[in-house]
Amino acid sequence: MDLTTDVLAMLVFTLLSFWGVATAALVLTLRQESRKVEILEHQDQMDTYSPTALAELREWIEKNPDDPLVEEARSQYNECVKALKETDNHFYDWDRTAIESLEQL
Amino acid sequence: MANSEAKTARAEWGTRFGFLMAMIGGVVGAGNIWRFPYIMGENGGGAFILAFFTLMIVLAVPGLMAEVALGRYASKGVIGAFRDITGPGGLVGFGVVVVLVNIALMSYYSPVVGWTLYYAVHSLLFTFTTPAFEAETFMNGLFANSTLLIGLHTVVMGSIAAILLLGIRKGIERIVVYAVPALVVSLFIMMIRGLTLPGATDGIAFAFTVDWAYLTYSSTWIEALGQALFSTGLGWGIALTVGSYLREYDDVPLGGGVFTAIGDSSIGILASLAIFPVVFAVDGVEPDAGAGLAFVSLVQVFPEIPLGGLVGIVFFVGFFLATFTSGVVITEVSVTTVYEETRFTRPQTIFGVCGLIWVAGLPSAYSVDILDYVDFVVGSWGLPLATLSIITAIGWIMGPERLRLLVVNRNAGIHIGSWWDPVIKYVVPAVMLFIMGYYAYDQFGSPEMIGGVVILITFPLVSYAIMSVADRDQTDYDAERAPVSGGDD
Repeated sequence: MDLTTDVLAMLVFTLLSFWGVATAALVLTLRQESRKVEILEHQDQMDTYSPTALAELREWIEKNPDDPLVEEARSQYNECVKALKETDNHFYDWDRTAIESLEQL
Repeated sequence: MANSEAKTARAEWGTRFGFLMAMIGGVVGAGNIWRFPYIMGENGGGAFILAFFTLMIVLAVPGLMAEVALGRYASKGVIGAFRDITGPGGLVGFGVVVVLVNIALMSYYSPVVGWTLYYAVHSLLFTFTTPAFEAETFMNGLFANSTLLIGLHTVVMGSIAAILLLGIRKGIERIVVYAVPALVVSLFIMMIRGLTLPGATDGIAFAFTVDWAYLTYSSTWIEALGQALFSTGLGWGIALTVGSYLREYDDVPLGGGVFTAIGDSSIGILASLAIFPVVFAVDGVEPDAGAGLAFVSLVQVFPEIPLGGLVGIVFFVGFFLATFTSGVVITEVSVTTVYEETRFTRPQTIFGVCGLIWVAGLPSAYSVDILDYVDFVVGSWGLPLATLSIITAIGWIMGPERLRLLVVNRNAGIHIGSWWDPVIKYVVPAVMLFIMGYYAYDQFGSPEMIGGVVILITFPLVSYAIMSVADRDQTDYDAERAPVSGGDD
């Protein structure tokens, strides 16, 4: 029995959407891990948030000053800002101007 | 309880790969190999894949991110994580529910692991390719031999205890970093063998033919929903426990969410590509569902194909590894929690938990009928109850926005936006309630439903009472974090 075009197309879609995505995620996360290890071999701290994620965290802290977790959030925010200002190698795509504009909360 | 202050040194995964393989090892089990291929073929092939992939992306990936993140946030087992977000008291009992469901799950899963061990051993002895071998008689002989089944259950729980005694890194991690790739390689080898057989394309056509009408059938979506939630083990405490051993700078959403959910499904896809070409290559073999597919249909095929004995070894050793690694990680859920909540040492906890599972599993090991009943009741009611407990705690007590900002997006490999919050708070709990409602409707008045109602009532009540008593002296609870209930997102 020959496979129809529909079946072949579905097979290709399935392989790409499952094995393709899983393999890409595995390779990406292992490469990111190598990058983190490389950074931490040269410095004892590292940026923990991307620019977008740090901006969201700051916005949440400012909007929720009485939240039981606000101190923990502030501590994590400040830890990231400190790492960004005190180190040269960054995991996320930060530019120097953006880092200089950051202040601890 | 809450004796964790006396046990401050906590293990971590040694490598990122170790964490990822522990997640996959924990969630990939028998269902990926004997259930997924058949469900796919019977529900429209490609149409089922589209429905399944959609539900994986919408529900399982975000759900797993949330569960791993809770483990990472608390750095504790299930009960400790619940206490961190609810504060001490009866509500922590919903963490106990998760542990009870895990023990119930392992009580009948261990005998199933025992079956795969038995078949793996016989594949190594080339039993299946001996003249006059009868697959159905062989399987019925195993199921009728209660002494042998109890013996296999004992060997499995003893082996799991031995691995857990070695610890997180030297035990679990060392096993999964070899066993999971070995499973993938074995299925891959079998797929290559299958695809090179005459008639293999019939198997591919059975699994991947697209019948679009199936996308309009509710049964397709319900099967896809069940597979997406049960195959990934969402809300069973596995992801929470594995995530609790993450290291400081580890990512959660890419590895714990995307890779785990899609990687788990990929094993099911690979199993389909490995099994159906082989099954369809031999006339008269039915692609039967469940245990029959693995233990009868495939076994009938091995004598008929070139190198069938070796293919049998590859398949059954891989199958055993899939079930055994799940058993190890599922048992660790209870071990981690009980160890942290009591004054027992880890070895004492392991012997206690494995001993309890062994005793609870004796009826299921003794009789396959009992196993089927317990499987149906726990699978239909206990597991959704555990999922609902964890997802509700995250969605309605911790608050998804807080978890996302504090944990999910911290050190993350991919950024998770605010779309995630309503999925965790509304969509996943609503889907779990729908599933339980559907099962109630489908099984109304049956012995299975009565068993399910017993679980739904007794597990939460008993657990709530236990934690109300156990935590009653913790008015001076001095957790590292204050309870965080009242998430306003």
